[in-house]
Amino acid sequence: MGVSETYVRGRRLVVDQPLAIVVGLIGLWMAWFLAAGLAAGRVQFHDVAALLWDGLLRGLIVGLAGIGLSMTYSILNFANFSHGDYITAGAFSGWAVTYLLAGLGEADVGSLLLVGAGGSVFGGALGIGVTTSPIAVAAGAVVAGVATVALALVIDRVVYRPIRDESGITLLITSIGVAFALRYLLVFVFGTDVRGTTAAGFVPRASVPVVDGTVRVTAHDATLLVVSVGLMLGVHLLLQRTKLGKAMRAMSDNEDLARITGIPTERVVRATWIIGGGLTGVAGYMFVLWKGTLGFNDGWLLLLLIFAAVILGGIGSIYGAIGGGIIIGVTASTSVIWVPSEFGRAAAFMVMIVILLFKPKGIFGGRTTA
Amino acid sequence: MSLLEVRDLDAGYGDLQILTDVDLDVGADEYVTIVGPNGAGKSTVMKSVFGLTTHMAGTVTFAGEDITATKPEDVIHKGMGYVPQSDNVFAALNVRENLEMGAYILDEVPEAALREVYERFPILEERRDQKAGTMSGGQQQMLAMGRALMLDPDLLLLDEPSAGLAPDLVEEMFDKIDEINDAGTAVLMVEQNAKEALRRCDRGYVLANGQNRYVDEGRKLLNDEQVRQEFLGG
Repeated sequence: MGVSETYVRGRRLVVDQPLAIVVGLIGLWMAWFLAAGLAAGRVQFHDVAALLWDGLLRGLIVGLAGIGLSMTYSILNFANFSHGDYITAGAFSGWAVTYLLAGLGEADVGSLLLVGAGGSVFGGALGIGVTTSPIAVAAGAVVAGVATVALALVIDRVVYRPIRDESGITLLITSIGVAFALRYLLVFVFGTDVRGTTAAGFVPRASVPVVDGTVRVTAHDATLLVVSVGLMLGVHLLLQRTKLGKAMRAMSDNEDLARITGIPTERVVRATWIIGGGLTGVAGYMFVLWKGTLGFNDGWLLLLLIFAAVILGGIGSIYGAIGGGIIIGVTASTSVIWVPSEFGRAAAFMVMIVILLFKPKGIFGGRTTA
Repeated sequence: MSLLEVRDLDAGYGDLQILTDVDLDVGADEYVTIVGPNGAGKSTVMKSVFGLTTHMAGTVTFAGEDITATKPEDVIHKGMGYVPQSDNVFAALNVRENLEMGAYILDEVPEAALREVYERFPILEERRDQKAGTMSGGQQQMLAMGRALMLDPDLLLLDEPSAGLAPDLVEEMFDKIDEINDAGTAVLMVEQNAKEALRRCDRGYVLANGQNRYVDEGRKLLNDEQVRQEFLGG
């Protein structure tokens, strides 16, 4: 009886959940491959740890930038494709200030404000870093946030607000137009060259021992970790504890009811752009500080991962954006253990598709937490 | 002068007109119900009072002030609370947060009003940390009413408060509404359960095809041969 029961159950599983079987087998193969690799010394423990660390940090960036996207989605009901270029705009405005403060007296103000356009100033030569020029970096991060807030508010007032009552598709297509306009406006001002912003030599680092080696942790890694976790915690407290946060959750839940309750919906919309924009701008700045390069395509390329993260986490939920961001980041980074590094992004999207096949609404789906 | 005066109201949604020449009065402390067949425009009257429909003609006056063109988020400042028929709680917020949202327009959460709501609906205090979306239909209805009472309104608009409730809860719900009215809040209610509503109210309006058909004391309407034949199933 035991055998036939097991057989029947197994048969049912294969028939009902063929996908689960395939995914399970692939998972098993990956686990075996990793274990065998570690045992044979083909894969080193400290390499895996370094990839996990890299993935976590990448994921925090994606998550932090994703919060804004998820918030505007849940409150305004549209997927904002110009979000990636808000990231880039925030990064350029913040880095212009950092260059200016760090390089004042060493190069002319114009080149500094254009973030060394055309190779006129090299970030590495200015010795920018969180330890070498902390004030320039802090001021840059703040300006990145403030400038992105201003940008988001202006674009909302001029573009999105007049068509607020149109369908989500109209808004989405419009936002693609905004994305291109914004990106090429940035190109017009700052040019297309990708510049190095920080020189590795100026960034202090520590080696953390891991089983068979060490993992390198830089001061910029630590800065990114502290800033992003701090901001995420701040948003969480804002949404759960403050009157504004509760009103935002209420509005994302049921806009009509929010209106008859007397919640000033336009003011909540503005607050959403302010908070989302601020986080997005700071995320853009920290992303550049962490990776050490800045180019006009940075935000747009990151946006694809951000969309993967917020959809995976359940669009509309900030916790989904954070959780999804970390999953996407870790997947993209660790995938090199199994596949060539060119496929890192593809691997992240594969994981997104697989998770959505099992949880179509995303990990935190159905819970609108603003 | 009545607390709420609706005069010659034409209203609808976009180009679609639902109401024609509707007149309605609710006095201070009065309990008024609107009954009528499905699609008569009962809910539309409520929504129009709260500025949620397209206004076409006529006036809505509340406490002597013309509120015809007032936006929904401003009507609540005039002393009117509204409980829509469905989706009337914030599902993702817990019970206490829902009640706090009811008093959003005040700077501070009015603890006395909160106390009163908890006393009127003890289940809400018991469940204050529960997400509204996970509560039963009856509990959600009580929460929706509690939310509307947080500002101690002069007039409470209730759209089908007994809809979807288990039979034993319907009676309890009507008792609660009586209590609220006895405590000095005027009530304007739309009800599917016409007989019970007319039995309980001070005055009733029978609405058909978006127009007033009969107006009288509830009990008189209940005993009116024509009303019984046409609207109450004999």
